[in-house]
Amino acid sequence: MERKFSCKFVCLVLLMIGIFANAAFSKDMKIGSCIYRFNDAFMLRFRTAMTIEALKNSDESVTEIEIADSQNDQVIQNKQVDDFIAEKVDALIINPVNRMESMAIIEKAKAANIPVVFINREPTREMLDSYDKAWYVGARAEESGIQSGQIMAEYFQANPDADKNHDGKIQFIMLKGENGHQDMILRSKYSVEAIHAMGFEPVELASAIANWDKLQAMNIMNGFVMSIGPENIEAVISNNDEMALGAVEALKLVDYNSGDPEQFIPIVGVDANAAALEALINGEIIGTVLNDADNQGIAAVKIAMAAASGKPVNKDTIGYDVMDGKYVWIPYRKVTRSERNY
Amino acid sequence: MAKVISRAKYDKFFSIAGIALLILGVILYFSGIRKIFDLPIFLILIGACVAAKGLISSSKKTAGEVVFSGKTFGEFLTNNAILLAMLVLVVVICILQPRFMQVRVALDILTQSSTKLIMALGICFTLLIAGTDLSAGRMVGLAAVISASMMQTATYANRFFPDLPQVEVWIPILAAIAACMIFGALNGFLVAKYDMHPFIATLAVQVIIYGTCSLYFDMPPNNSQPIGGIRPDFSALGQMRLLSGIWKGFPGISILIPIALVICVIIWFVLNKTVFGKNVYAIGGNREAAVVAGINVFRNIMGIFILASCLYGVAGVLEAARTAGATNNYGNGYELDAIAACVVGGVSLNGGIGKVGGIVMGVLIFTIIQYGLQFINVSPMWQQVIKGVIIAVAVAIDLTKYRRK
Repeated sequence: MERKFSCKFVCLVLLMIGIFANAAFSKDMKIGSCIYRFNDAFMLRFRTAMTIEALKNSDESVTEIEIADSQNDQVIQNKQVDDFIAEKVDALIINPVNRMESMAIIEKAKAANIPVVFINREPTREMLDSYDKAWYVGARAEESGIQSGQIMAEYFQANPDADKNHDGKIQFIMLKGENGHQDMILRSKYSVEAIHAMGFEPVELASAIANWDKLQAMNIMNGFVMSIGPENIEAVISNNDEMALGAVEALKLVDYNSGDPEQFIPIVGVDANAAALEALINGEIIGTVLNDADNQGIAAVKIAMAAASGKPVNKDTIGYDVMDGKYVWIPYRKVTRSERNY
Repeated sequence: MAKVISRAKYDKFFSIAGIALLILGVILYFSGIRKIFDLPIFLILIGACVAAKGLISSSKKTAGEVVFSGKTFGEFLTNNAILLAMLVLVVVICILQPRFMQVRVALDILTQSSTKLIMALGICFTLLIAGTDLSAGRMVGLAAVISASMMQTATYANRFFPDLPQVEVWIPILAAIAACMIFGALNGFLVAKYDMHPFIATLAVQVIIYGTCSLYFDMPPNNSQPIGGIRPDFSALGQMRLLSGIWKGFPGISILIPIALVICVIIWFVLNKTVFGKNVYAIGGNREAAVVAGINVFRNIMGIFILASCLYGVAGVLEAARTAGATNNYGNGYELDAIAACVVGGVSLNGGIGKVGGIVMGVLIFTIIQYGLQFINVSPMWQQVIKGVIIAVAVAIDLTKYRRK
């Protein structure tokens, strides 16, 4: 109890300093943020980006960002939002635990007239429309598919010999994630469309569901290598990095993708996780796609600051395109050996 | 319609048929038809086996007669239904996709069977005492994650333990297997001490293991990222190929195959030649009788679950090595595949009945069917349907066989 008291006391002192500072300099700002769970690698990057962005903007005024761990519990998160509102923060950045329960948060923010920016988990359009100071920052899942298809098509443009039978078509194998998963459907569809859009005809030799799993992907790819023959496979497109790496392990068993340029099948994944970057450096895969947490974090803080200081939220004030006055879509980034965007 | 021939004639027929196949194989081998891939080699091998069977049993000079009639034919069909169905399937696959007839495909099937066999050999102990083990798959995941987490290269960007030195390979392996054995002991304790049904006890432990493994996997700095950057000396344990390139195009035998064989021999020995093995069958056959006979049921049940978990741990380590990576989701659902393979291989869920040879057959049949269906690109949904039908038919036939006896 004592510690809590002293904490509150320090807060009070800081608040008073803030008030005095406020009088002396331009307006200080405090942003309250809830992250659905701290123990999430992607949200960890997100948090770091937000903190750095807030520090960067602290030249003339002090921008403070307080980030709370919602411990994967919507009830805890709602309580945290109440606390932030009671503290009179200037803006909220919320990563909902359950995106369908965001309405309660929007109502709280609306009642206190505090702007709220949702990140990574998208509330419905109706929810965002119900409050003029609600925005969403995220990435479009289909883009990850488009970009992985583009990486593959660009590889074929740069390496005409990758078209092993020289028929102008790309004979590929698709490794899919969990059946029915939104990312699996969108990535499978748009990667092939992107290849098509870049002037190659994609021909699916085979596809299989490997449930995002390296082990399953390896077993399945083993089978394809035997049944189709590695010499007939021109490309492997995977819905995520883990399955792409499973394909690498299966190909290594027949001495493919192990250094000999004559025995190589281009493989592309999505996620840009550490193992995939290692494989990229070793030349085992040709590329992966990164969900850009850094820019999403920066955009969220910029919107919060603009809205809190009463400015309109548009490209001029935040530096990112705002769609329909509500959405900021941060593009995925290609990660290849020539474009190390990580 | 019944036709009776003497045993000697029957054996002679086998020898001749075998030699004929062998010769056919040799002719095809030298004919150099590329479209049939390695079929000649398979013909030579099958021919040699059939001929050997005929020659050996004729050298024993057993008297008696072999009866060919509608009844014996029917019995032959039901006794070997699953095996015959598999043979038909293999022939169909070979016609649809001749690439199936490759030595490397056969070796690949054996490789994929290896870890499954180790799992099945572990789970068969729990089935033999009329129990089950639902925690098997999650133990594979636990062992994979623990062993992989300590076996990363020093330069890997996202190390699980950033400050861990490059430890000897056997340390993480033992740690992983020991972790599994602790949970195996928990399984055994719940079953033996409280007389809990193994279904419930192992279900509870399964959930505990998955939770524990996920917590471990989620520890910073890893934060639930897939474990990669595995050291080559560890992945060699699952990827090394023996005798590769002794002749042109020979892909080599995966090290997993001899590992599985050694474990198979050990388990056969334990089940058939040790007191512990006899006790397992006794407890499974009739628990009360076993108690009356003075068998320490508590100790034996503990032993069964700990031995089984040790095998799952080995399987988990090998899976991590083979795929050079691990996540907490490894091994998910393996227990059901292993139980199904045991059942198809003639292990009775009522306990007390089951042989190592049958389990090997069960695992091979399952892997061949699964691999074959994938090979000719049968949709995963249909694969599930077919797998289910095989399990149902296999058990139905087995039960009618016992009833007849």
